[in-house]
Amino acid sequence: MPNDRRPEIGGTISIQKQAFDIILSRLREAGYQTIGPHIKNDTLVYEPIESLNDLPQGYVTEQEAGRFRLIHNGHHRYFDLIPGSQSWKQYLFPPRLDLLTLQKNGKNWELITPTQDIPSYAFIGVRACEMAAIQIQDKAFLREDFNDPVYHARRVKVFILAVNCLHPAGTCFCASMETGPRVKDGFDLCMTELDEVFLLTIGSELARNLLTGVPFELSSAFVLNNAERGLENAAQQMGRTLVISDLPDMILNNLDNPYWQEIAKRCLSCTNCTQVCPTCFCWDAIDQMNLSGTETRRERVWDSCFNPGYSYVVGGNTRPTISSRYRQWLSHKLGTWKQQYGTFGCVGCGRCITWCPAEIDITREVSMLRKEAQQ
Amino acid sequence: MDNVDQISKELKKIPWFRELSKEHVQKIAEISNLRLVKAGEVLFREGDKEECVYIVIDGRVGLDMFVPHRGKVRFYTAEPWEVFGWSSVTPNIRQRTAGATAVVDGLIVCINAEKLRQACDEDHDLGYLVMRRLANVVAGRLLVTRLQLLDMFANPETKNA
Amino acid sequence: MTNLQVATLTKKITYPNKGPRWAEITTITNETSDISTYWLKFANPAMQASYRFQPGQFNMVYLPGIGEAAISISSDAADHTSIGHTIRFVGNVTRAVSRLKVGDVVGLRGPFGTNWPVKELEGKDVFIACGGVGLPPLRPVIYHIIHNREKYGKVTLLYGARTANELMYTAEHEAWCKAQIDVELTVDRGDSNWTGRVGVVPMWFYQFRIDSHKTAVLTCGPEIMIRFVIYEALARRIPPENIFVSLERNMKCGQGSCGHCQLGPYFVCKDGPVFRFDALQPFFNVEEF
Repeated sequence: MPNDRRPEIGGTISIQKQAFDIILSRLREAGYQTIGPHIKNDTLVYEPIESLNDLPQGYVTEQEAGRFRLIHNGHHRYFDLIPGSQSWKQYLFPPRLDLLTLQKNGKNWELITPTQDIPSYAFIGVRACEMAAIQIQDKAFLREDFNDPVYHARRVKVFILAVNCLHPAGTCFCASMETGPRVKDGFDLCMTELDEVFLLTIGSELARNLLTGVPFELSSAFVLNNAERGLENAAQQMGRTLVISDLPDMILNNLDNPYWQEIAKRCLSCTNCTQVCPTCFCWDAIDQMNLSGTETRRERVWDSCFNPGYSYVVGGNTRPTISSRYRQWLSHKLGTWKQQYGTFGCVGCGRCITWCPAEIDITREVSMLRKEAQQ
Repeated sequence: MDNVDQISKELKKIPWFRELSKEHVQKIAEISNLRLVKAGEVLFREGDKEECVYIVIDGRVGLDMFVPHRGKVRFYTAEPWEVFGWSSVTPNIRQRTAGATAVVDGLIVCINAEKLRQACDEDHDLGYLVMRRLANVVAGRLLVTRLQLLDMFANPETKNA
Repeated sequence: MTNLQVATLTKKITYPNKGPRWAEITTITNETSDISTYWLKFANPAMQASYRFQPGQFNMVYLPGIGEAAISISSDAADHTSIGHTIRFVGNVTRAVSRLKVGDVVGLRGPFGTNWPVKELEGKDVFIACGGVGLPPLRPVIYHIIHNREKYGKVTLLYGARTANELMYTAEHEAWCKAQIDVELTVDRGDSNWTGRVGVVPMWFYQFRIDSHKTAVLTCGPEIMIRFVIYEALARRIPPENIFVSLERNMKCGQGSCGHCQLGPYFVCKDGPVFRFDALQPFFNVEEF
């Protein structure tokens, strides 16, 4: 007789790890592309996965300024590693996207934009920092006065299976930014991985339905306690800290501090940080016309405030130097973002630190600026 | 032709002169004369000896420089209450570096530069006040010149070409 | 089994929906050697009839294959027959515009941005100080004032250009004077034919009797000119809340989404281009911000 027992929203259940594959296949049957962490070319990417077999079992990541290594230490868990350069941003806010295609017809241009399937993504393994980042991008793209149709179409369909981090890496500081390591909200399912089982907190009706018939147990107090303690420990094991109590003012009151020139000596303005940052949302729209001038495609691409042409105005550039561009990025991320969207733009994921070829560390730069400001 | 009282009265309309004592105003009026000018009248040319420092009471005086192949370029207009020809009051005596032409009918005060220099040497109080005022005039003129130099209204593309 | 809604998951969507709104060039007015006003009318008459803008707002003009440019609207907001865009040919898109002719079609999006606060200025004296291509975004204000002249006090336009033949809209100046707007001109350099002022816009403030309690200053032009105009206005004790500035930044989307036009916390396309100066004060003088 089919087991129609369903867990309540807000409740936490535990499932055997093999049962996870049932959830993934249920999602696929329903039309979702299940995307999750996967090792490819010796690095960690977010790509379609089908089962636990595709997940990186037994790995941790070693992350430092300008350094990322996947270390296989042979344990049995799947979600101990901390995400790599990719984030979920590339699925909701694609790096390259056709906005429209026009074809010349005499004097006029005709719109020939083909219908596009909006993919339904199921994000498997969304960390607390990444969940916060998605919610921050929601504020940028989904506004009352302007709603990005591409982001919106993808976002409403997304199924989120979040994961609590128990083993933060060397560049993590989500605890400082108050975005993790515990996933707060916004998920359909939130998972904590213990040695033998996955704990799943139910976040939505959709998730409830998904779990119909999946064998589960109500979690015992002992197990829940384990998870709690794991999370508390994780909050203490962050590789970095960033004091935010005097932000954004400390940064915005020190825009003229010579320390920005000091950073500029090291920064290459290479835009890595903005590409890996899960909240950066700047974009450009470029016309790509064919050689005969009969067809043009308007393409939206990621842009970066570090690009020299980003702040080009007629007759010059408002930010011609690296120091002015780095200052723009930092004073936006941890400064003016607050006035614009009500939160900081930084979630403490540490990607910008890990992937900076010049080993620039946002947590160190902020504390150095603070020290310089106090002098 | 003009009596000192008439000149004093005109001078006292100019805000800076109200800072001076009656005696000082008198002193300057004694070494000045009023001059009605007609539109187009040339007051002095480039190369002339510097004899007077001028203040516009009414009208407009254009300062020009002749640039070969470009003709006469007017780089400044002195409006009411403005001083021009001020370099004649400075210690090193040179010749005029620009020409002055009345753009419209007007009235100007011409103060004899050499006698003003003498008066400043004799009365250091007056000298200090005059030089202080001139320093302000020059500072303001310098700022305007710098802004003109920036050529801010030029088309940026052609400017850089 | 599960009762997930499969149908909604794979809905086909066409985006961004209907594509560019096309507008035709009805007239081209040559203002100076490198500035012209393009009068645009939407191809769809209903769209043209219902299009409204406020003085100070801008449109995004699209040339397929080349790109978009943010252009201030310089025509009368009360005239609904066509929309005037005064364009200086300085970049890729605007240079491509300079090759267009009457009858050609461009894409048009807008209006975007904040406007000059013509309603809040009622009852006040208005001092407009601008130069070069700073006058076009202010011309709709002049028209608005003329249409509602009794609602405003003393109105002065102090306008400068590089040389006398680069002064814009000169054919209209007389009409503006007749509407009791004090039109005061200045040029950076003159010649013997020019009988007007020679000097820079900010230096002429001293010539005007300005009641600091009831005067609002509106300014637009090269940012360095704006800076010195503001110095002068503040020196005349006009409070920063009564000084309004229109700024220019690199604009791509016009809607506060792409990030390019940011100045501190503000998106110049959405929170501007018209700003009240007190809002800008913390950031305005930070170099390269």
